[in-house]
Amino acid sequence: MSDHSAWVELLKSARKTSLLQDEKRKIHFTMPDGTELCEEYDVKTNELLIRKWRKKTALGGQKPWEFEIGEPDITDQVAALTHGTKDLVESFTSPKCFRCDNSLSFQWRIRNLPYPLSNFQVSVDADGKSIVVRTKNKKYYKVINIPDMDRYNLQLSQSDLTFAHANNTLIIQYKKPETIKKDQTLLVQEFKRMKTGKDGDTECKTS
Amino acid sequence: MAAANTLNKVQEVREVTRLERIGAHSHVRGLGLNDDLEPRQVSQGMVGQLAARRAAGVILEMIKEGKIAGRALLIAGQPGTGKTAIAMGMAQAMSKDAPFQAMAGSEIFSLEMSKTEALTQAFRKSIGVRIKEETELIEGEVVEVSVERPATGTGAKVGKLTLKTTDMETVFDLGQKMIEQITKEKIQAGDIITIDKSSGKVSKLGRSFTRARDYDATDSQTRFVQCPEGELQKRKEVVHTVTIHEIDVINSRTQGFLALFSGDTGEIKSEVREQINSKVAEWREEGKAEIIPGVLFIDEVHMLDIECFSFLNRLLESDMAPVLIMATNRGITRIRGTNYKSPHGIPIDLLDRLLIIATSPYSEKETKQILEIRCEEEDVEMEEQALTVLTRIGLETSLRYAIQLITAASLVCRKRKGTEVSVEDIKKVYSLFIDESRSTTFLKEYQEEFMFNELTGAGDATTMEVS
Repeated sequence: MSDHSAWVELLKSARKTSLLQDEKRKIHFTMPDGTELCEEYDVKTNELLIRKWRKKTALGGQKPWEFEIGEPDITDQVAALTHGTKDLVESFTSPKCFRCDNSLSFQWRIRNLPYPLSNFQVSVDADGKSIVVRTKNKKYYKVINIPDMDRYNLQLSQSDLTFAHANNTLIIQYKKPETIKKDQTLLVQEFKRMKTGKDGDTECKTS
Repeated sequence: MAAANTLNKVQEVREVTRLERIGAHSHVRGLGLNDDLEPRQVSQGMVGQLAARRAAGVILEMIKEGKIAGRALLIAGQPGTGKTAIAMGMAQAMSKDAPFQAMAGSEIFSLEMSKTEALTQAFRKSIGVRIKEETELIEGEVVEVSVERPATGTGAKVGKLTLKTTDMETVFDLGQKMIEQITKEKIQAGDIITIDKSSGKVSKLGRSFTRARDYDATDSQTRFVQCPEGELQKRKEVVHTVTIHEIDVINSRTQGFLALFSGDTGEIKSEVREQINSKVAEWREEGKAEIIPGVLFIDEVHMLDIECFSFLNRLLESDMAPVLIMATNRGITRIRGTNYKSPHGIPIDLLDRLLIIATSPYSEKETKQILEIRCEEEDVEMEEQALTVLTRIGLETSLRYAIQLITAASLVCRKRKGTEVSVEDIKKVYSLFIDESRSTTFLKEYQEEFMFNELTGAGDATTMEVS
């Protein structure tokens, strides 16, 4: 089994719990170093909808969930904006970037960007590690990393990158390399074989 | 904008009225030693007690080198001979990072916590760990800042802050705490600021170069900095010092929803502590963290009881013990919780582990110098003759009584519209406020006329000594 990538090995070695709920396969991983990972797959299409991480701080405290894929939970932000907050929050109208992949490509949507397509410059950074989104009117700038590519130590190339703009949203796509696609199907197969808990009231036997 | 201006004014007025309070030892700024650890007669607010200060300096040097841990020091002396002042001086002279935890012996008696837990926590609060942590920062130039009261006139203020870098711009909604900070720091358009996301601390880096020609007259302290590039939010590694107790607390919180049902003041399990100890040791091996042993100062140490003393014995033996400094004004007295008598009310086995520094009563000259320093600290002008009188009072009654007369006398002086406190003022307050020995004589004379005088003095004394 040594021909598998480090990423697949890491997921295999982690402690896993799986649950079927709302047409989604939810899997929770605990890595050997205490880091938690949560993934949600669509049962029908096998697409990865959410991947979020919870890391420990250097002193052992808990950080909030960090979303790698999927739209982050904005209840906190909404509550802060409507009821007031102690600190500061980005206002509703500020652009929000999140990743939503499909099986063929990595995809990002940046909402609340009302500028025409010609205003945007999306390119692969000089070191080949990240995608940089620039605006000509200097209103938005974002460096997007692809942790998947970092895990496989792959370089990005400009030719695989495309972007479009519609409904105040900038959509950026990057074609997934073959190796990642292969491992992806492998992992999905693996997860399907896992023992999965069902949602709802489970039987509670009184001995 | 008008609203923002009035807000600024209100804030300023509030700040001016803040009172500077003067503590009993606020004049102490260090131990008053030169580089060879030789004490200077009068320096850094310390007077006399040369031998004791020198001894404290030697200990301090050992602490600074980080060589000793788990050592204990006892400062013993009569009341009002500068025991606490020496401890405070040591605290001031230590490096800023090293934790100095001061407590009184009676503080550990709490209903919520066992005595041993309180002692352990105090010990762990006095050991610092320097460690690198990643924090999220927002760094940018202020484009616009506005703070407004809601139209209804009541409720929380609302604020908006627009920040930019050379590449982007973002609008933030401000909360109450942030508005306060921004008005306090007088943040305005054109400033370059950083906001620490986890603590919410705002700091001003300077003004943007592009705004350099906004005003013809800028004060010389204004620093001009480049507008930052790239994204507004950045990750940065910062080194900071936390105490081991803080790490304990972070790791002992019940995770998940159970945290709602557990109080914060509970005891920390010893397993958690052991785990933290080995974790910290591991970090130190890997070079990730540095341990800074601090100082735990227990004043009025005779208030601890026998259980605490035996627990102290044990704590001092662990490899993560700070330097323990204790102070007492008792002579040979009963150890609390037993019927045995022992020097300073401390069991012999613990005394054996201590280095003892003795303080002696101040001479006339020293008393005068201390009173002079206190006059300066309390902003009181005093005639030479009045000072001599006050020194006599200090010698005959107590130094503390004399110090307390300073402000009282200055108030009397101000009432008669004088500028310098004279002998008359001192006489007046001396007759107004009686000292301890006069009070005792008075009581001896008129005891029968007070309430409950049928109780004999001996009965009181036995009930005082509770175990």
